[in-house]
Amino acid sequence: MNTGKLRVFSAVVLCAIFVLGLFAGTVSPYPYAKQFRECPNAAPSSAHWLGTDSLGRDLFARLIYGTRVSLLLAPAAALLATMLAGILGGFAGLVGGWCEKVILAATDLSMALPLLFVLLALRALLPLDISPVLSVMATFTLLGLLGWPSSLRVVWAAAKNLRNSDFLLLARATGSRRSRIIVRHLFPNLRPVLFAQFWVSIPVFVLTEATLSMLGLGVIEPLPSWGNLLRGLEDISAVSANPWRLSPLVLLVLVVICFQLILPAQEETA
Amino acid sequence: MLAAVGLLGGLLSASLVRFSPGYGVDEQELDFRLSQASVEAIRNSHRIHSGLLSYYGHYLAGAIHGDFGSSQWLQRPISSLIKERFPVTAKSALLGVSLAWLVALLISFAGVFFRGFYFDVSTTLISAVLIALPAAVVAIFSVYLRAPVFVAIAVVIFPKLFRYLRNLLNHAYSQPYILAARARGISQSRILFSHVLPLASPALFALLGVSLAVAFGAAIPIEALCDSPGVGQLAWQAALNRDMPLIMNLTLLVTLITVAANMLANIAQERAL
Repeated sequence: MNTGKLRVFSAVVLCAIFVLGLFAGTVSPYPYAKQFRECPNAAPSSAHWLGTDSLGRDLFARLIYGTRVSLLLAPAAALLATMLAGILGGFAGLVGGWCEKVILAATDLSMALPLLFVLLALRALLPLDISPVLSVMATFTLLGLLGWPSSLRVVWAAAKNLRNSDFLLLARATGSRRSRIIVRHLFPNLRPVLFAQFWVSIPVFVLTEATLSMLGLGVIEPLPSWGNLLRGLEDISAVSANPWRLSPLVLLVLVVICFQLILPAQEETA
Repeated sequence: MLAAVGLLGGLLSASLVRFSPGYGVDEQELDFRLSQASVEAIRNSHRIHSGLLSYYGHYLAGAIHGDFGSSQWLQRPISSLIKERFPVTAKSALLGVSLAWLVALLISFAGVFFRGFYFDVSTTLISAVLIALPAAVVAIFSVYLRAPVFVAIAVVIFPKLFRYLRNLLNHAYSQPYILAARARGISQSRILFSHVLPLASPALFALLGVSLAVAFGAAIPIEALCDSPGVGQLAWQAALNRDMPLIMNLTLLVTLITVAANMLANIAQERAL
């Protein structure tokens, strides 16, 4: 299979998983928190396709709803991070001078901070017993607010190249307004870079959320996410009794690999 | 640079600790055996440094003398906790980074010397799967397999390192001067040590600094889930117990180590150029 076909295949797989998560309410046979107390740790059957967890909740339902949480909110966090990087990086690259120095120094400082340590520190500021929905919002907002520095450097470099371009000089010379220059000339040229950064950030945020949730500091139960579903792997006897418990991990790995396979196409356009 | 990061990071840490919920409230105040005067004395001791700048000044003065305050959760000096836990993480991180570099270099060189479709596809596939595994999952698998903590850290670092190294070497070996050297019959080892490595060394040094930062980041989930008593596990427990002074000091410590490692890598990079 050549690279082009592999990219199309990855895009199709990603779309299918995304649609599955989006219509979780329709696809899933049960609500994600419904307990079947008579059959905890059940093996796969026609009633429970992937079996049940230790609390008797249907694993397939939790996987589908978890996909929705992870695959809808990771792009939202990536969008926030890319927007911050785009605004600050674009501003620094185009304006230059002391603004550029201040923004780049702040970026260097932020990049020096270890992401996971800072995430733990900020998460520790919030109470541990917040509602599950609030925990989802807090986790992904923190990811979005802290994930911009590496993207900023790339956007800044692209914007700096544009600053000295002839077409911008011409636009300025013909008296174009600043807003028109930004909307008509700058944004279309920065769009491929921004899109590539957005695309790169998604799998990073999916993986970070998984690690945070596995440590009990991300998405809180009973709301499922790929991260807190992976906590089920800690129980080795349950995993060996029902290997289908590995399905969240398989799905996560598949999605991250698909993102990696699609990315080169975006880089080429950038 | 290191001093600037230390001062700014310290201010950031001090701000977060000072404005964290529950600052200045001491559970000792609830001890019914204490007299009113003792409770008032505890409250006063917190009131003295209630302003941010005053708190920061107090923190800096203490830090210069090696006093980073006390952990609210463990009721022990943070400096003694760091002294106890840091060597464990440093050892795991250094061993993990060394192992990851060794394996990544070996496989990258093998890929360059024995170019083959199946070797390329299998190494790409393995690194793609490893890169897609969250560090916490690697930690769980290492518990299953009873592997030491440094091996788990190496597994987290390896795929990122391998991809970069392979691209770097492939790029270096595709240069016309390498072809010319081969055409002249120069041996593979001489090409590697005299033509490829000197040119690639600045990028390799930069990568060394980055891999150390990744190792410390990966130490949190791996030490937490593998029950290794290092700084990563301490940071996780501090977050669960909302011990802000402890977690902020640990963040600052790891930041300073990362910056110092990157600075050393930059110096080595400049020498190599």
